[in-house]
Amino acid sequence: MFAERTLRSTSAGRRGRDRLVLILCAGAGAVALLPLVLVLFYLLFEGLKAWSPAFLVSPPGGITSKSGGAMNAILGTLEMTGLGLAIATPVGLAVALYVVEYREGRLAVIVRTAVDLVAGIPSIVIGLFVYSLVVITMGHFSGYAGAIALSLVMVPIIARTSEEMFKIVPRSMREGTMALAMPRWRAITAVYIPTVAAGIVTGIVLAVSRAVGETAPLLFTALGSNFVVTDMNQPMSALPLYMFQNALNIGFPAARERAWAAALTLVAIVLIFNILGRWLAGRTALQGR
Amino acid sequence: MTAETAPVRPESPGALIRRRNLSIGDPLLGWGVRLLSWLALAAILLMLVDTALHSAKLLQHESILDFLFGLSWEPASTIYGAVPFVYGTVVTSILALVLAVPLALGAALLVNEYLPTRVAAPIAYGIELLAAVPSVVYGFWGIVVLVPVLRSFEQAVSGSPAGGLPILSGPVPGPSYFVAGVILAVMILPIVTSVARDAIRATPRLQREGALALGATHWETIKHVVLPFARGGIFAGVILGLSRAIGETIAVLFVIGNQPQVNASIFAPGYSLPSVIAGEFAEANQPFHSEALIALGVVLFLISFAVNLAARRVVARFEQRAGGADVR
Repeated sequence: MFAERTLRSTSAGRRGRDRLVLILCAGAGAVALLPLVLVLFYLLFEGLKAWSPAFLVSPPGGITSKSGGAMNAILGTLEMTGLGLAIATPVGLAVALYVVEYREGRLAVIVRTAVDLVAGIPSIVIGLFVYSLVVITMGHFSGYAGAIALSLVMVPIIARTSEEMFKIVPRSMREGTMALAMPRWRAITAVYIPTVAAGIVTGIVLAVSRAVGETAPLLFTALGSNFVVTDMNQPMSALPLYMFQNALNIGFPAARERAWAAALTLVAIVLIFNILGRWLAGRTALQGR
Repeated sequence: MTAETAPVRPESPGALIRRRNLSIGDPLLGWGVRLLSWLALAAILLMLVDTALHSAKLLQHESILDFLFGLSWEPASTIYGAVPFVYGTVVTSILALVLAVPLALGAALLVNEYLPTRVAAPIAYGIELLAAVPSVVYGFWGIVVLVPVLRSFEQAVSGSPAGGLPILSGPVPGPSYFVAGVILAVMILPIVTSVARDAIRATPRLQREGALALGATHWETIKHVVLPFARGGIFAGVILGLSRAIGETIAVLFVIGNQPQVNASIFAPGYSLPSVIAGEFAEANQPFHSEALIALGVVLFLISFAVNLAARRVVARFEQRAGGADVR
């Protein structure tokens, strides 16, 4: 305060420019938040009008029919995400262990690069891969193909987070297991994995939150179905697919309503998983330091 | 105290070694990890090769140059040219970057430089939540809410003197490259913002304080110290955003208008690489139609691969520099 008065103070022009940038940045922040506010507003406003608990458990109706729920889609999402996760968790963990703990020369680098490559592939291309390899080989669309596509979406996320986690296992802990002459498998299963379990779970939760919302990899693998199907060998619906198909028919008010209801359900599920994942991640970051 | 300590049971080194050798745990976990990793690698390679071979069947129908540089896409007369889609992908991605980067930078500066953490944290969280919303929801929201709003904007611009420019000319049907660019901008905003924030946060405190001590205003400090330092990281965020924009499928499909054409006006409807695959694959019943779409998928894969490679280079260089600065 004193210095500002006695020394020559900052000129009006410089101070004005400083103020201007602050205003511009505040504007940018407000505009950046605008879409979130708008999307959430429309979801709640339109979605709540169309949504009811019955939506979750009713079988689907025709495009124009007033009634009809998303039971097929919810079952499909549960089954395909579940199976996809059952594939992706062991594979993702194995890749992380292979890269960090086993580190077998060039092959580990190649495995890691391949998994990173998949992480960068647009999800529609993952759908094409699985179509070309699984759907054509099996001869038909199926829930299995959808689950494989979703597992490809999840493996890189799980592998990447677990890898980061295994890297932060403290050196003292590693040395401790060696001093105790622990076999490597004991060190990994009894010490390293429990130490970073929360971090690994974070990766799994974020992977699920990603996979649940994916439409593109399911388009030509699970295809979608208007029937309540539990057999994964059949074409299956999933919430994003269900929403996609209803949203393409927004000319029909009933389809439009179903699309909003599905959107609300989908965003609720994804946000719950996402917020849960972030919360877990925040906790592990504290523990890790 | 000492009485409670567990009794130490001495074991001869020989017994220890024998027990380790007997345990099947090590080979079990070791081979499990190896086999699963190799399986993943094999599956990825198999899928790449299989998809490439599948798309190569298109070569029985037309040459690779006709495909890559073909200006028209008419499945009904089995003419398959990739240019309209590559053009659409490039135009929408550029629009997305032009719209998203200044906003992301401004938001990152606001959150990191100007606001106290208590206010900044929820804003940053809100922007990051944008990334969690599934793309089908953006697409639907885009067609229901955004297209009507932006259409009147597009009409106003193309009706004004600026509409004389080819890139801003009418007619304005609604869905267009521009709307797709806006949706993509919303979708890539979180990643660009969060990477830019990391870069800005990494600016050494001493440099910043040095500038302030020399009498620089906050903006001058940002301009001469923070931004030059964070440039690499911000650029990395931009490339990551670009890579997202290139691959985005469903949201774009809803709002781009689905016309396989090359049109100079950003208000004209078009098509992009990922969205045409999603839009036409299910009804691909013309000869070589599905092969041509898979070949578009291969083109998309190669483009996103190149961008990701560039991104990784930039990120690596940035991390090196940031690491170097920490030591100083």
